[in-house]
Amino acid sequence: MNDRIEQVRAAARAEAASLTNADALERFRLSFLARKGSVADLFDQLRHVTAADKPAVGKALNELRTEVQGIYDGAKEKVDSSAQRTSIDLTLPGRPLFAGSRHLVSQTLEEFQRVFVSMGFDIVEGPEVESDYYNFEALNFPPDHPARDMQDTFFVSPSVLLRTHTTPVQVRIMEKRKPPVRAIMPGRVYRNEAVSARSLVQFHQVDGVYVDKGVTFAELKGTLVAFAKRYYGSSIKYRFRASYFPFTEPSAEMDITCYLCAGKGCRVCKHSGWLEIVGSGMVHPNILKRVGYDPEEVSGYAFGFGVERTVLLRHGIDDIRLLYENDVRFLEQF
Amino acid sequence: MKIVSSWLKDFVDVEWTPQQFSDDLTMVGLEVESYEDLAATYDKFVVGKVVSCEKHPKADRLTVCRVDVGSEELQIVCGAPNVAPGQTVPVGLVGATVPHGQHDPDGKPFVLGKVKLRGVDSSGMICSAKELGLGTDGDGIMVLTTDARPGTPLAIALQRNDVVYEIGITPNRPDCLSHLGVAREVAIQTGGEVRRPAITLKESGEPAAKLASIEIRDADLCPRYCGRVLSDVRVIPSPEWLQRRLELAGVRPINAVVDATNYVMFELGHPLHAFDLDRLDGHAIVVRRAGPDAEFTTLDGRSRQLRPDMLMICDRSRPVAIGGVMGGENSEVSETTTRLLIEGAYFLPSNIRRTARTLGLSTEASYRFERGADPEMAKLAVERTAQLIQELTAATVHPGLIDVYPKGMEASRIRFRPRRANEILGTNIEPSAMRSYLGRLGAHVTANGEEELVVVPPSFRVDISEEIDLIEEVARVHGYNNIETQTRSAIDFSIPTAPARVADEARSHLIGAGWREIMAISLQPETVASLGGPAPIKVLNPVSAEMQALRTSMIPGTLDIVRLNLHRGNKDLRLFEIGKVYRRSSENLASVEDVVEEDRLMMAWAGVAAPVAFDRPSREVDLMDLRGEVDALLRRVCLDKYRFLPYRADNTLTESALSLEINGTYGGWFGEVRRDIAKRFEIEVPIFVGEIALPVLEQAWTRDRTFRPLPRFPHVVRDLAFVVERTMPQGDLEDLIRLTAGPLLESLVLFDAYQGAQTGGGRRSLAYSLAFRSPDHTLTDAEVDAHIRAIVDRARSVCGAELRS
Repeated sequence: MNDRIEQVRAAARAEAASLTNADALERFRLSFLARKGSVADLFDQLRHVTAADKPAVGKALNELRTEVQGIYDGAKEKVDSSAQRTSIDLTLPGRPLFAGSRHLVSQTLEEFQRVFVSMGFDIVEGPEVESDYYNFEALNFPPDHPARDMQDTFFVSPSVLLRTHTTPVQVRIMEKRKPPVRAIMPGRVYRNEAVSARSLVQFHQVDGVYVDKGVTFAELKGTLVAFAKRYYGSSIKYRFRASYFPFTEPSAEMDITCYLCAGKGCRVCKHSGWLEIVGSGMVHPNILKRVGYDPEEVSGYAFGFGVERTVLLRHGIDDIRLLYENDVRFLEQF
Repeated sequence: MKIVSSWLKDFVDVEWTPQQFSDDLTMVGLEVESYEDLAATYDKFVVGKVVSCEKHPKADRLTVCRVDVGSEELQIVCGAPNVAPGQTVPVGLVGATVPHGQHDPDGKPFVLGKVKLRGVDSSGMICSAKELGLGTDGDGIMVLTTDARPGTPLAIALQRNDVVYEIGITPNRPDCLSHLGVAREVAIQTGGEVRRPAITLKESGEPAAKLASIEIRDADLCPRYCGRVLSDVRVIPSPEWLQRRLELAGVRPINAVVDATNYVMFELGHPLHAFDLDRLDGHAIVVRRAGPDAEFTTLDGRSRQLRPDMLMICDRSRPVAIGGVMGGENSEVSETTTRLLIEGAYFLPSNIRRTARTLGLSTEASYRFERGADPEMAKLAVERTAQLIQELTAATVHPGLIDVYPKGMEASRIRFRPRRANEILGTNIEPSAMRSYLGRLGAHVTANGEEELVVVPPSFRVDISEEIDLIEEVARVHGYNNIETQTRSAIDFSIPTAPARVADEARSHLIGAGWREIMAISLQPETVASLGGPAPIKVLNPVSAEMQALRTSMIPGTLDIVRLNLHRGNKDLRLFEIGKVYRRSSENLASVEDVVEEDRLMMAWAGVAAPVAFDRPSREVDLMDLRGEVDALLRRVCLDKYRFLPYRADNTLTESALSLEINGTYGGWFGEVRRDIAKRFEIEVPIFVGEIALPVLEQAWTRDRTFRPLPRFPHVVRDLAFVVERTMPQGDLEDLIRLTAGPLLESLVLFDAYQGAQTGGGRRSLAYSLAFRSPDHTLTDAEVDAHIRAIVDRARSVCGAELRS
């Protein structure tokens, strides 16, 4: 009996190396482990063994069965896992999900806000349908003043209009708060201009204002330079030049070196090498007086960015209408 | 405003290159928008002398010419019939760019090469006036009258070597709307001297005062009126040099008289007018408001409706000009004119502007007067014009300037504190330096004690009236770029910071969930705006009917965007917008308070419910897909403080709509766009849309959430399937289950809704998975069974729901 046990053990061990596929495994199982296999056959013959030998033979048989089963299980695991691997086509595409995107103007507004909030500015909004008073008169545009020609206006009634800039929010916030006031005012504005690649009845501005004791023109420059370096990169060159807005004095435009041609001159910067990025100036004393501040006590600076202009230049878009057409093929690029 | 370089040099010496000139003027606020170097246009064009002409051996119409161009003699084949030996002609050398290609349909420029014409070498081209952009004559070559030597650059021979600058003059600087004005700014920069034109009039004949009279009746609108009388005037063309300057400045030459008035306006900045003295009734000028005069024909031949407060220049009996705006046909200078009255006046800016706007008539004159002319310049301008007309036409200038200036204009005296200037600018400029800066502007400066100066600005600087104006001037002359940049680093904690906003939360959720943000135009056709609500706010002066009314809902504008995308083949659209809608809160729009602007979130979905995958069939989106997206958004923003209510009430835009209640307040709606509406936008596919009122969502936004301890005991899950009548809303059964199950029911999921053969006609099966959990002990089967029995019993009795085995 012991000899036969050793024969079966040797036979099983001899086959172990060849168990590399499902067919071989099945043959092995039928030959050794099935109900009519050689291990079961040996158990059958246990009853012919003498009572005295039975415990020892039974133990040897159990050990044989464990070993053969072990050979089978080990081989089966290897075969199964490799079978599983080869059944997955790893080149299949992922099951797609819908992709989202943020509108470019909205992205840019957020970037402006992030930079200015980090510099201690509050964010305030105001109405788009605005009174002539806040849009013009309170900002030093008297009636019958040619400066009004700078901003072609949509009227909805003789005294109510679609705001032409976000600057009226400066007046509204100063009326409500006492100095120090420091805030930016993002929002949508309207100009009555013929639609073209450069101009579309609506666009967005981000105005800013800071009024406090001892605020200076030098600080205005410092703040806008700090913004420009964060937004456009620390290597930009800049210049401030004299300009005119009725609500600021002195008034200034800030230019930075054209980042498309690095100041050499190209079509985008009209061969000047400079790009105008923000209008600014010191809040006019008349406006401080009008909101009840004492211009001898406090002073302030103000500025206003055009958002779409920034977007077009930065992303090389040649037609502002693309921003408001909302063609998905445009949206998904950003 | 166009500035011609040679003209500018009449008044100031300037040695800058065009680029330097542009940069330096731009820095002080005179923005040079562009410049054109005319000499560059005629680069590689020279004066040539035709030495000989021979017939082309193979072409009848061509001539083989030898042309002396100074450095050499060129052989040029010419096709013009008029070429002849001895002519002085413009020659384009090889490499020159001919400005106007005569054989190109669009007249595009082309570059000259060395060519063979029918076998004969030709090195260059003899040009026509048209080819050079100097006229319309293209039939033959241009024959020059110049005595310039062969080889002279054409630009110099033709005196076309000017640089013309286009300068954007801001509304506060009318003093720069002239060559003299720009020369003054240049002189401030260079420290040079400005040369004002010297007036040398040869007066003769009767005194002017005997030939004409001037009376100002409304001095509030016209403080000063100067006149000069000329006779023996000949209305002839101006000389070429003057015509060319006017053309370069952008004005068409007419005749010596009109040209002289225009010339002086561009030179000195003061508008002038010439009347035919013999057409003035009584040889009189009366300056007065229009009053009852209702109609007037301006010299452009158009009849104008007058208003009583418009200032008119009249004669004894009738208006002859709209003061400061445009002259009249009835007193216009004509070919037969021999006697003139030259007007140089000063008008009140606001009245000129009102008049020009009312009439819709903006002229070079009104443009300058409404911004503010220099009252002191009126006299010089008239003298200069008289001098010019005398020079051009040999006219007689009658002795005496008629100058009616009843009150004079008081120069403003402004207190200026140098310390204050440094405080505003953040600088340490010495007071003596400031004094010198102000002096360079032409201001009269005197000390007033230790700390203060008194400044009288020059009369042409109408923009300077208070201290802050002088501070700006100090900064400008000092140079903005010489002011250092400073920052304030101290954090001011008293300034509020912007609160977080639900719009940002919703936006980032939706982008993450695969929605694309769009931005639409708020202005749309009135018919489109009306779809979203009644009586949209309309713009009185729209740029077009397409952009006439403010949107009352974001849906119609979105449908337009959907249409555009569908037409371009973009089929699967999941779009959202965060923006405003506008409506009136009262009939009339007297103030801002009559307008309500509401922030909204719009969602629109068309196309597939999920992107196609290799083992996932594509299915069209339906309302429940959209509802699921809204659920996910709202759960993030305000947990469970919302519910949907089915409603089929009248809605102009959608059918099968759900309204949304957030925290007990109406907060928006969702539904499928009505087919007839979609068709109006040429949309043939189902499209699901919705709008949420952001203020309502903001109110319900739950950020201060209190922690609920995580459950410590296991839950028990039971599935129940009911068969109900098809007409019974699922929501009724769901509500009943929740109500009956009580607080131990942790969650309820409808995992199957089926309707078919097995449920019998008219019935459907609804299968729910219920999870029960107790916060304080492990639930027993018996406890849960009791709840299940109660649910089954009530479902049967209330909803007629049978338990499905």
